[in-house]
Amino acid sequence: MSNLVSFGYIVPELLLGAMAVILFLLSAMRRRNLLRKTIFPGLAILGLMAALSVLVNRTSGGIFGGDPGCISGCSLFFGLLATDPLADFFRILVISATTICVLISIGSPALPKGRTGEYHGLLLVMCLGMCLLSAANHLLMVYVAMETVSLCSYLLTGWDARKCRSREAGMKYVLFGGVASGVMLFGMSLFYGLFGDLSFQGLHLALQGSGALSGAMGQWAATLSVVFMFAGFGYKIAATPFHMWCPDVYEGAPTPFTALLSVGPKAVGMALILRFFYSIFLFPGSMETVIGASGQIPWLLLIGIVSAVTMTLGNLAALVQNNVKRLLAYSSIAHAGYILMGVTAGGQEGFEAVSLYMAVYLIMNMGAFAVVSLVEKASGSEELQVFRGLGKRAPLVALVMTIFLISLAGLPPTAGFIGKLYLFAALLERGGFWFLMLALVGVTNSVVSLYFYARVLKSMYMEKADTDLPTIPIRNPAAVTATALSFATLFLGLFWQPLATAARWSATLFH
Amino acid sequence: MLGYGAVLVLVALGGTIAVVFVGLSRYLGPRNANAAKLTTYECGVEPVKTARERFPVRFYLVAMLFIVFDIEAVFLYPWALLFRELGLFGLIEMAVFLMVLVVGLIYAWRKGALEWE
Repeated sequence: MSNLVSFGYIVPELLLGAMAVILFLLSAMRRRNLLRKTIFPGLAILGLMAALSVLVNRTSGGIFGGDPGCISGCSLFFGLLATDPLADFFRILVISATTICVLISIGSPALPKGRTGEYHGLLLVMCLGMCLLSAANHLLMVYVAMETVSLCSYLLTGWDARKCRSREAGMKYVLFGGVASGVMLFGMSLFYGLFGDLSFQGLHLALQGSGALSGAMGQWAATLSVVFMFAGFGYKIAATPFHMWCPDVYEGAPTPFTALLSVGPKAVGMALILRFFYSIFLFPGSMETVIGASGQIPWLLLIGIVSAVTMTLGNLAALVQNNVKRLLAYSSIAHAGYILMGVTAGGQEGFEAVSLYMAVYLIMNMGAFAVVSLVEKASGSEELQVFRGLGKRAPLVALVMTIFLISLAGLPPTAGFIGKLYLFAALLERGGFWFLMLALVGVTNSVVSLYFYARVLKSMYMEKADTDLPTIPIRNPAAVTATALSFATLFLGLFWQPLATAARWSATLFH
Repeated sequence: MLGYGAVLVLVALGGTIAVVFVGLSRYLGPRNANAAKLTTYECGVEPVKTARERFPVRFYLVAMLFIVFDIEAVFLYPWALLFRELGLFGLIEMAVFLMVLVVGLIYAWRKGALEWE
């Protein structure tokens, strides 16, 4: 589709970009203190809501029947972007995640007061990058969008420049990220050298023709380049062995931003992996063909192994953490592993499970980080000790946290249980020895994860606080957001049909 | 693959010439070193102090601003060439692009990135 027509389909991104420019312009102006406090979060939420409403308006017809215009898939800007259910579903997810992040950020002590405008501007730019990445259909676009997300995350990770940890985390993130995107670019360049094309469709056709892959050299080069590209993608979702940055960065970054960092890039990374592997290596219309013309390289098996290792490592490392932010960081690594199970399973069920789990994970994980942010704000630390006696001091906050933790562990009647159910169901539906083994590893890991989530629960309800720890104020946006998210977690645990419908719709791309 | 044979020959030839010339000058050339000859070459100016010192972070800011506007110029050239074909749409798109950059400049200016002291 030509450029002029394409603009009609990226209105949400245009709105986000425009609002970011306005925010930067405003923060360059002199203004009064009062204005600064309320206007920036307000404008950011305004921009996000405008983008969300445009998206929902366009997609709501698609979810519940009907096909207004290009809803079931078109390519924009001569193939750079795709607009399809998968992209729209993940765009809605990341815009919601950014909105929640803005709400949690209000009044957080981890964010320097003088730079509120820039903070929100960068959040919007990051959201824009994530929206583009979830729709990217061309390796060039993948790189540009990924760098947009990464550069904003580097800055926002080191945002609390007063704290040594935050600066250190920012630096580590830049170094790891630079290497990861360098490796990914190298993989892309190999692909370009082999096939002379960077668009997913072009690569798919080239692989089908498979002239370039006839020799052993071509096979090797293709394998190497996909492994290199997976390094870049795996870095974004924090999959083993590219997870090393994760705990340090999550711990050092300002907690409200950590909430977004643990959800947004992971979601779009998953969308990218789904789109990349399934649009390049599969023949259209046959999900059962595991391997396309790429010869003997079993991609699904490789992703399955990464999935098993990722969740095992994340869960085992989380067992010994005493800092709740680090604990949640390792738990988020483990969840990347769970979600990759859905990618491996593939098919309509697998896609649906990935989309559904990502939405559920967004709600429960951002909620848990919101509570950590509240506790950190009141007691100045996020170690496990400051959670002691939280059940007495702040019953509501403790209850909300309990719901999130139970959901993260995957127990009923919460949304996390439903999410895991769909993931395992997809694997079992698939059948076959290796898929059943993977499901077994997943179940075992869920049991292991129960231990460290229960440690936080034990700390909150069964241990007495050593000193006089403060109560936690609940009349602020962050607490209200956390409570709302906990309601959503419970609600979706009992009545998940709307979300499942939306997830099924998002998976219609590869019918 | 055959088409690249010439490149291979060029690489081999270039490498040989380089090695032969450097080796010959090292083998045949007279060597009488003195203090002026061994000093660091700084375009004819006498070196004042070591080059390995810390320099102000402002250089970094200015360099970044320079690169931004350098890239802008790179984008402006092809647009100027195709100005007639792109028409009004191209003009508006370029104006938006420039506006975003100008906002960046205004921001940098107001935050004092252009002041040296």
